[in-house]
Amino acid sequence: MGIPVTIADDSALSRKAIRRALPLDWDVDIHETQNGLEAIEAVNAGLAEMLFLDLQMPIMNGFEVLKVLHDHHEKTVVIVISADIQPEAQALVMSLGAFRFLKKPLQMVELRETLYEVGLL
Amino acid sequence: MINLSEDERDALQEIMNISMGQAANAMARLIQTKVTLSVPAIRTMTPQDFQAMIHGMSNSWFARQSFLGALRGEVITSIQKNGCEAIAELMDFELPLDLSATEELVLEVTNILSAACLHGFTSQLELSAQLAMPAFYYPGKITQGADWSSILLMDVDFRIEQMQFDTRVLIGLSEGSTDQLLIPIRALLES
Repeated sequence: MGIPVTIADDSALSRKAIRRALPLDWDVDIHETQNGLEAIEAVNAGLAEMLFLDLQMPIMNGFEVLKVLHDHHEKTVVIVISADIQPEAQALVMSLGAFRFLKKPLQMVELRETLYEVGLL
Repeated sequence: MINLSEDERDALQEIMNISMGQAANAMARLIQTKVTLSVPAIRTMTPQDFQAMIHGMSNSWFARQSFLGALRGEVITSIQKNGCEAIAELMDFELPLDLSATEELVLEVTNILSAACLHGFTSQLELSAQLAMPAFYYPGKITQGADWSSILLMDVDFRIEQMQFDTRVLIGLSEGSTDQLLIPIRALLES
């Protein structure tokens, strides 16, 4: 069984971009969600040792997801991938426990460097 | 009217979202204040619908900036009149604003937002488009000189929270450009 990874993004194009950027030989089980609430459910179901998290999503946004994970001391490694690139957003997600903030459009090199830093590559 | 599939609409919305994120960041740097964005709305409409929408925004100033190249169309920026002095203060304009200074302010904001969002858009899709100079204008003249037989409207609100005023960016594409835009989007979806 591979590492459980969840991609939370309401855009199918972005979810696809993240999948494409992942190493082909990486042993992972990928689960996709389209809003923050589904992302929390995926974490609770053990489907997200790593969570790729968009910030702007319906029902529950990425900031709210981070707060829930932060309050419940979840061990999930969260990598935020967002189009909101203002310094305030980056600072807030890091203060809420995200491992890294990556800008959209996602650069494959940045993602792989991040996976290496986490120790998953 | 242009018909977009659900996947094409999703892709266009996400590309717009990324582009507008870059525009919001440029704006936030200029005024040193956090800018929040709405989720971009993608709509197809007739020029008549568009005129009616613009006429309903009587509390705003407008500027237009056309772009040419593989993509042709116009970026239209609206700024709520009652927020102009607040943003002018952040941009070190002398207050109170007269009409000339108001025009300068609107054109400057338009230039920043248009350049950032068009660059974001074209760079993601590897298309070329060059912006002309922005021009201040009044509703009623919006389609003058433009080939807008059908309009693909991409609409985003920029909100500067503490001031409670909206800046809105609309991108209208001419019909031929919509085809040009959809080619790389379909390629992205199929890859």
